[in-house]
Amino acid sequence: MAVKRQPLLRKIVLHVALLPFLVFALFPFYHMTLTSLKTDRELYDRGAVPLLIREGPTLEHYKKLVWETAFLTWTKNSLLVTGIATFASVVIGTIAAYALARLKFPGVGPFGTGIFVTYLVPTSLLFLPLAQVVHWIGLADSKWALVVTYPTFLVPFCTWLLMGYFRTVPREVEECAMVDGATRLQALARIVLPMAVPGLVCAVLFAFTLSWNEFIYALTFLSSSEEITASVGVTQELIRGDIYFWGSLMAGAVLGSVPIVILYVFFLDYYVSGLTAGAVK
Amino acid sequence: MERSSRRDFLATTALTGLAGILATGIPPARGQQREISYLCWNNFAPASDRKLAAIGQRFTKDTGIKIKIDHIAHAQQAAKYASEVQSQAGHDLVEMRMHFPWLYETQLVDVSDVVADLERQYGKALSSAYETAQVKGVWRAVPQYHLFFVATYREDLFKKASLKIPDTWEELYTVGKELKKMGHPVGIPISQNYDSISTAGPVLWSLGGMEIDRDGKTVRINSPATEQMIEWYKKMYRDCMEPEVLSWTDSSNNDSIAAGKAGWIHNPVSAYLTARNRKMVTADGINHHRSLAGPAGRHETDVPRHIGIWKFSKNVEPAKEWIRYLLGKREVYDEYIMSGDAFLLPVYDRLQDHPVLKTDPKFAALKAEGVQFHCYGWPAPPSDKVQRITNEFILPNMIAKAVTGTPTKEAVAWAEKEMKRIISE
Amino acid sequence: MAVGSLRVGPVAGRRGLRVRELLDHERFLGPAFVTPALLLIALLVAYPFCMAVYFALSNAFIGRPSQFVGLRNFIALWESDSFRQTFQNAFVFTGIAVLFKLVLGMALALLLNEQLWFKRLIRGTVLLPWVIPTALSTLGWWWMFNSLYSVVNWTGINLGLMDPPGPNWLGQKYYAMAAVIAVNVWRGLPFFAITILAGLVSIPRELYEAAEADGAGAPARFWHVTLPLLKPVLAIVVLFSTIFTFSDFNIVYVLTHGGPINSTHLFATLSRQVGLESGQIGQGAAISLYLFPVLAVVVWVQLNFVRRQQY
Repeated sequence: MAVKRQPLLRKIVLHVALLPFLVFALFPFYHMTLTSLKTDRELYDRGAVPLLIREGPTLEHYKKLVWETAFLTWTKNSLLVTGIATFASVVIGTIAAYALARLKFPGVGPFGTGIFVTYLVPTSLLFLPLAQVVHWIGLADSKWALVVTYPTFLVPFCTWLLMGYFRTVPREVEECAMVDGATRLQALARIVLPMAVPGLVCAVLFAFTLSWNEFIYALTFLSSSEEITASVGVTQELIRGDIYFWGSLMAGAVLGSVPIVILYVFFLDYYVSGLTAGAVK
Repeated sequence: MERSSRRDFLATTALTGLAGILATGIPPARGQQREISYLCWNNFAPASDRKLAAIGQRFTKDTGIKIKIDHIAHAQQAAKYASEVQSQAGHDLVEMRMHFPWLYETQLVDVSDVVADLERQYGKALSSAYETAQVKGVWRAVPQYHLFFVATYREDLFKKASLKIPDTWEELYTVGKELKKMGHPVGIPISQNYDSISTAGPVLWSLGGMEIDRDGKTVRINSPATEQMIEWYKKMYRDCMEPEVLSWTDSSNNDSIAAGKAGWIHNPVSAYLTARNRKMVTADGINHHRSLAGPAGRHETDVPRHIGIWKFSKNVEPAKEWIRYLLGKREVYDEYIMSGDAFLLPVYDRLQDHPVLKTDPKFAALKAEGVQFHCYGWPAPPSDKVQRITNEFILPNMIAKAVTGTPTKEAVAWAEKEMKRIISE
Repeated sequence: MAVGSLRVGPVAGRRGLRVRELLDHERFLGPAFVTPALLLIALLVAYPFCMAVYFALSNAFIGRPSQFVGLRNFIALWESDSFRQTFQNAFVFTGIAVLFKLVLGMALALLLNEQLWFKRLIRGTVLLPWVIPTALSTLGWWWMFNSLYSVVNWTGINLGLMDPPGPNWLGQKYYAMAAVIAVNVWRGLPFFAITILAGLVSIPRELYEAAEADGAGAPARFWHVTLPLLKPVLAIVVLFSTIFTFSDFNIVYVLTHGGPINSTHLFATLSRQVGLESGQIGQGAAISLYLFPVLAVVVWVQLNFVRRQQY
């Protein structure tokens, strides 16, 4: 299908319309990055211009963060926990969503609604009894506790999201394939999943980010410096009483997001643009 | 054939994986090696944390007890302690800040024996330690050290304008007016944070007022002293401070004086230390003076920190040994205090004039002669309800209402109603 | 119309065929597929969930034995000024924030769906707020609103939009609420935009072409083609965002601690203050769960609506 040629004016208008969104999204990040690169003297100077670096950028905050704290260990923990929890949640969510969207079996209705009810008790309350459960399983002060508990808030949403996307795949397509001799599993893998890729990408994105940002479970289930995740570690190390080490805190924010965004952009782009280029009939 | 072997393989792998996961949570057989864990706060002075770790290693060498020290920010302590209590597992020793021993009374081991030994050596613990760590006659945590609020001011500005160093809260108003005219207003927060209560408390106490009476039940906020305090705050807000104090958090007053804006703040010595350690221009001009007084005496807010032992701990005796090692040996205690840059000072009578105060002339005022130290909620014992009143920031909110337009009597009546409701729950 | 090609696997032995038949049987496959999710929830959510509800219905206090007291916590809370204020705050906060996120998210998704220059850069930028670790981005915003160093005020004053010293963002009643809503919208917008975008991308182009052939302009196409097809996605996203926004904690805790004078307290922050910091877990749980029955009904209604959207 040919892409309609867009008049240049329309394109420019579109980009101008995007500008406020980009400024809104980017400005705080720009400010945080600047803060992480300013020397302490300029940072705490009331008369300084907040939007520019006048006295020369410095990498001292990054150096302090990376070399003088266990930041690399914490980031490694975060990546490990988030990666595994995301993968597990999306897999569990996918098969549950397929079952709820396509298959008829007793209890499908209540189950579908039931799993969403788990969201109504916020994690800021659930963490207390969950800490007990974690202790019973023997995973206290271990990052595996997070791998096991994160899916509790990731799976329900992934399931529901993917249900929505699976429903947009017309039944006939699958039924054709099965008439041709494919099993349900094959139909799922080769027909439905590829068509629901935008939904899958969304689910992965969502699960990854929620795990990455999670704070209270990481704080309460873990204690040792070798086990904690990045957000907990950074706030613990760099906020001492009423003293905030702003430069390094913002360095933590930058380092904790830029690599992820780069990964996302390529991942997202690869799948989503692949689909818009050659639309499915 | 192929299918079954693949199934077996999957099953074995799964089981091994599961066993591996569970095994990491099961402690290995320990035999002779005793092991304890200590959760304390992330000290404002990182050097102090390092010193603590070093002392911990020496402790292991000397006694054979392994100790693991973890740190946590004080904002996160409530959540962490609650989850340790809920799961009845976690660390053996925990920091008990301020009046926490009252909150966790039923979960803390009786450490009166350890405290008795320390008092024999160092003299009685300070009154604020008694008020907070001794619950109904039983010591639930061992007083370790304390940090307290002190008047922090820009000495250079005072000298330049020939201002007299205030000795009472009234004199602060006189001086404050001049400071604001010079562009260096007074900075006392009136917002939902603990620094606000740390100033409102002493002002109220120095006027003879109180929130709840000694019996822990009678609400005494509705009194002439309270109204006087509110009038004082109103004129301070109007003539000596700027509206930004309504948005301040615990670090805002530090930042303000370090950045050269505020001329006078009320804060522990951390404000000066931050300016000094960040090599800021203002550091040379900052100094401290003795806490201010009022008609009913010179009162000040104290933040004692103690060490408690959870009842669920299986290593109570080794834990006590650690406390005795850290605090009971004079050299070790001194060493620990010296690493804290005078932010944390000993809480025992005979150790009050500590060498650490001589490391910087600006610490002179920390000797705090004639100052009575109390924790939040004094004179009521810090029971659950009194702590709830503190945590709901009723006192600062009452003042905030008054300075932003609510008539004094109405604000006081509101506070009284809220406090009575909490007491009667 | 068939899509792609399917290679049918070689016919396996007799045992294989039976297993395959079994796997094809809906009655078996269905439950098998939902079992992992079910197990996860039964083992790790059921007990904490019930415990949390029990806390709300008891006089639980940290470390002390508790007794069931029924709805007493819920009733007693209503007498508290801070709670009543919180209740109002929560609705204001959630209502305005979700509305902004929905409208702006939809607009952004429509823009992102076009053929753009610098597509990767733009998508990356848009995603940034969602990806920055929440604990740290909120601190960054506090630094931006900080009365001493506020870059927001500095920019406003220099652009001539504000008179010095600029609004006291976190210290004045309505400004503080505006500030926390702004941060919530900033953080949640990418989520709406990307999810709606994924929904937009799945809408077959023929429908647009057919509508255009029928003479429908862009607004009409949006109303009659885009919106109806996006409804399931929108419903899920709005529902989910509403629940999450209601229970937001970090933004208010870091920026205002619930102030000034309780004007930005939300259920989660008040619950922390009463439950964790003061030890009264029972009341704290009741605060967190105050809207539980209402939300449960809303969830049930919404999800039934979504489920009925069959293709």
